[in-house]
Amino acid sequence: MTTHQVVSTAPAYREPSHWALTPDRSQLLVADASGNALFMYDPRTGALLGHKRIADPYQIGYTPDNRYFVVNALRLDFVDVYDGATLELVKRFKPGRWPSHLDFSPDSRWSFNSMQNSDTLVSLDLTTMTERWCVKAGTTPAGVLWLNGRVLVCLMGEGGIVEVDPIKGGITRWQKTGDGAHNIFLDEQRHILYVSNRGPGQTSLTALDPITLKPIRAYPIPGGPDDIAIAPDGKIWIAQRFAESVAVLDPETGDYTTIPVGRSPHGIFLSTMLKQKGQVTAERLR
Amino acid sequence: MQSLDRLFSIIAGYMDQWAVLPVLYYFHWMAWDDLAFDWCLICVYGLFAVLVTYAICVPLELWRPVERWPDKKAVAVDVLYTLLNRVGVVPIVTFVLFYQVQTWATGFLVERGFIPPTLESLVPFLLGRPMLTFLIYALILDFADYWRHRLSHSFRWWYALHALHHAQRQMSFWSDDRNHLIDDTISFLWFFVIGLIIGIPPLQFPLLVLALKFVESLSHANIRLSFGPLEWLLVSPRFHRFHHGLRAAGRNSCNYASVFPVWDIMFRTADFRDEYLPTGDARAPEALATGSYVAQQATGLKLFWQALGKSWASLGIGRAA
Ligand SMILES: [Zn+2]
Ligand SMILES: [Zn+2]
Repeated sequence: MTTHQVVSTAPAYREPSHWALTPDRSQLLVADASGNALFMYDPRTGALLGHKRIADPYQIGYTPDNRYFVVNALRLDFVDVYDGATLELVKRFKPGRWPSHLDFSPDSRWSFNSMQNSDTLVSLDLTTMTERWCVKAGTTPAGVLWLNGRVLVCLMGEGGIVEVDPIKGGITRWQKTGDGAHNIFLDEQRHILYVSNRGPGQTSLTALDPITLKPIRAYPIPGGPDDIAIAPDGKIWIAQRFAESVAVLDPETGDYTTIPVGRSPHGIFLSTMLKQKGQVTAERLR
Repeated sequence: MQSLDRLFSIIAGYMDQWAVLPVLYYFHWMAWDDLAFDWCLICVYGLFAVLVTYAICVPLELWRPVERWPDKKAVAVDVLYTLLNRVGVVPIVTFVLFYQVQTWATGFLVERGFIPPTLESLVPFLLGRPMLTFLIYALILDFADYWRHRLSHSFRWWYALHALHHAQRQMSFWSDDRNHLIDDTISFLWFFVIGLIIGIPPLQFPLLVLALKFVESLSHANIRLSFGPLEWLLVSPRFHRFHHGLRAAGRNSCNYASVFPVWDIMFRTADFRDEYLPTGDARAPEALATGSYVAQQATGLKLFWQALGKSWASLGIGRAA
């Protein structure tokens, strides 16, 4: 039964942003950057379970083998690698200004981190704990997604995405989506890529073909769409950062309803994701 | 409350999407995209605070004025002071500076293996109680402000600046922000350092200042109003007018608190007499009272310079007479 109502609210310190599910799926970790803390919630009920103090977590993620937990500390310019089991700091990188989003190669050897204020994409080798390369990706890079042996990066300043060769870091393709292209997601069936475009002006969600990268359809979504989550019924839940709402979009019709939720909704996790196989992340399934 | 907050966010969201972001994108500053929304929110709050103050004070000043003036020429400059300080530039610059310095300080400490705590992490009870946390921040800042204000009456050079605030004889709800720029800068740094030490979130810092200033505006209003048995709780127009009384200008003053009179009670500087005195500073040059913005600033600077010289001559321990 869905009522599209807020049923409960759990506290955090300051600015909860992105999430990660612990490998045993018992805890939903939520990054609170300016609160310098990682909050743990019950992924079924949303109840607060505890928190751990770590420096400035913004975007967070486990490597596919769950060995490491990697944190982009956007304000402090750190990429911190923690042990996946104990959450103890293993290695700190300072690869550029404003580390924004991240993803990994499926073999867990490499991480790819966008540097929002250096206009670069950085790749780290997590087996040797060294920086592999750093390339100019384009203006204000944000969302990062590994797809079919390539890395896709959203460029807010250029209104589109670039495809980057993960071996050498060269740019292989470019596709326009919309102004302020911010984050990128793959649906469960791997049929559609979604890019949220956060403005200025009219903001939208663009659906793309994951093979050709050609746009299939654009959905105008006001209020700065940020993260999305796709429900089993196909509806797309979209955080509207600047409208204090979550939009629930029917991708067939393009109609959506909105749920008022409070200041600056950012990451979205659906408890139905717990039923999915493989590693569950905000951006895709493995 | 919640729907009001939502309305602010929606207005700020429109401002951001259609006015601020296009400028940021034009200049290739889109990395600031996230923070631009906060800037807009600060503008909306500032504008709202001024409008609410206006809506409350104008009818009250008409209904029960302490003083009636033949014209309100001296008030006009106070309006300018208020708009400059509350809507737009000053609060946004405050936010950006506070954000940058806090980020720098946090990074410095984190690199040395120390994660700075927040008030809520030191007092776990405050987690999930943002209004209470906000109130505690306000209390701490107001306590600091009590001492800043009291000291500004104690030092000759400092009162030379603060005299601009006291010179106004037509004191109204617009008068709170009439301060010398140097005095404003000192207050700003004072708050800034305290805010950093207690770890106020960057967005809350300008909002706290706005909230405190809201009460300060009311307390400057030309209204015959005391809070009766609640005079000890919140600074009333009567309480602050007493501080602005001619006799209280300069060193031997009372009622220094801006928002919570408890500090005056605690440090024995409170005066709860039910009197409404004429305001102003008899010793202040006329330019400080009725001059233009520029004349007031220039005169304040001159007095400050002279006082600094005198203080210097008496080995920096000079006191306002
Ligand atoms: Zn004073
Ligand atoms: Zn005053």
